[in-house]
Amino acid sequence: MQLNEILYKILIQGGSYLTILKGLNATIRISLFALLFGTLLGAVICAFRMSSYKILNIPAKLYILVLRGSPVLMLLMLMYYGIFARSSLEAETIAVITFALNTAAHIAELLRSAISAADYGQYEAARTLGFSAFQAFKLITLPQIIHIAKPVYQSNIINLIQWTSVVGYVSITDLTRVINNIASRTMQPMAAIIIGMLIYLALAYIVHGLFALSDILKFKKRV
Amino acid sequence: MSDYLIEVKNLCKSFGDLKVLNNVNLGVKEGERLAIIGGSGCGKSVFLRSLELLEKPDSGQIFIDNQEITAKNADINKIRLNMGMVYQKFNLFSHMDVLDNLCLAPVKLLGVAREDAESSALEWLDRVGLTSKIHEMPGNLSGGQQQRIAICRCLMMRPKVLLFDEPTSALDPTMVGEVLAMIRMLTKRNMTMLIVTHEMNFAREVANKVLFFADHGIYEQGTPDEIFDAPKREKTIAFIRKLKYFNYEILSRNFDLLEMQGQLRSFTEKYGIERKLANRLELCAEELIYEVLNGCYKNIKNININMEISYSEADGATLIKLASGGNKFNPFEAELEALDEEHLGVTILKNIAKSINYIYENNKNYIDIVL
Repeated sequence: MQLNEILYKILIQGGSYLTILKGLNATIRISLFALLFGTLLGAVICAFRMSSYKILNIPAKLYILVLRGSPVLMLLMLMYYGIFARSSLEAETIAVITFALNTAAHIAELLRSAISAADYGQYEAARTLGFSAFQAFKLITLPQIIHIAKPVYQSNIINLIQWTSVVGYVSITDLTRVINNIASRTMQPMAAIIIGMLIYLALAYIVHGLFALSDILKFKKRV
Repeated sequence: MSDYLIEVKNLCKSFGDLKVLNNVNLGVKEGERLAIIGGSGCGKSVFLRSLELLEKPDSGQIFIDNQEITAKNADINKIRLNMGMVYQKFNLFSHMDVLDNLCLAPVKLLGVAREDAESSALEWLDRVGLTSKIHEMPGNLSGGQQQRIAICRCLMMRPKVLLFDEPTSALDPTMVGEVLAMIRMLTKRNMTMLIVTHEMNFAREVANKVLFFADHGIYEQGTPDEIFDAPKREKTIAFIRKLKYFNYEILSRNFDLLEMQGQLRSFTEKYGIERKLANRLELCAEELIYEVLNGCYKNIKNININMEISYSEADGATLIKLASGGNKFNPFEAELEALDEEHLGVTILKNIAKSINYIYENNKNYIDIVL
């Protein structure tokens, strides 16, 4: 079979590209919401983790330990077949919750390391100039935390996108599931899977590009 | 209302069991320039940081321009506007360029218009010769440049008093001068300053009052001439003359002579005492100990000799002090009768010592030898 014939079968025949786009849409949606809620929850857990009250920091430590130490697919299955088995929640919502919980654990540790790496002396300098604790954090510490955390955050996002490829296990038709279906329908697993990988690769590069763009914009603003 | 710009009353501060400041009292008037000196860990930095409430005192009161910063409902942020703090590590905001570092606080806290802040920033940078660095990031500047900008950042807030926490300790020697020159410039503007420093010559030149910190507080204070030329109390004298101590205790007739010599040798090497003097010290110490063992402790079993050697890094003066129990015995008098081999040491000591002093007090022999 010719290459263009294979591509036609995989991408075009019977509106194949539409299913791929739908799958891609599901992947992006789950990743985006999981990232959003995961980051917010991660910030809260990080605050608990760094609190000097044991009642807050011990549960946070435990949370991070368990969630970072167990496979996200296990958690997803536990949620879908266990905790939310009788609820009327959609599979996709359950996936978002699962990935948000998992991401939160990673983000919490990421934020914690970034905060410890930020220069406390600069915070003190801001305080002695007369800034309040909140102002000093917002103006001095936060921008530095963001700067330190950015590269790791970026790779967390890419990991998250890749991990969402397991949602097919709980009946969600995401990009991986779609590619799998096409592979069996067309009997061309090799080509179909390579195309799927290329799409994931493109997503990763888009994330990478967005971060690079934000750096460039920041630099331009300064100059 | 007092006429003090800074007033400290009964300030106490401990870290856990470690007492750092105990009952410190101080009044600083406008235009006064205080140099705060003292050994490491004497609490001078903690004291300075307490004034800004970066360290929370355990008890006591601090008034800045008649406002009590230690009061429960004090508006700390507002009181801090009266003071500027310069840190050992500069602490410039690393994500902002020089201009933003200088303008941030005046614009956000004093409500100064950005253009006005920028022009006054330029004025200050011009005074310290750093106009060309206006858009540099702090990381690209040398330590000396960063520190000068950090001082400018404080001055932008028009503080009534500047606090310097070892402003030159993190700088390499080539850059110390430029920062000190800037502080000197501020003395001409009659700025009130408290400077924690290890630069003694600088402290002497710039300050009109010197505080020596030891024993959890201000141990001695006075004019620079009083503190540097005629310190009155023991620890001040030791600090100003940079006295280094070597101590050795002997509790047995068969004490480990080689160990003592080894320790004494590493002491002399540590402080760069020249070889000739070091050899003399070793010789004198050994001879003196044997004279005392054979004299004071003749026919006595329990031995307790304490030898202390002090060396002044400032002028090289060396002193051997020996305290010993046993019988009353002055080796330098007992020696008069015979000059044989055994008492060679005493002869040597007499020849090389600048002065020898002997006292018998409270059943103890005290021998002081100045080398």
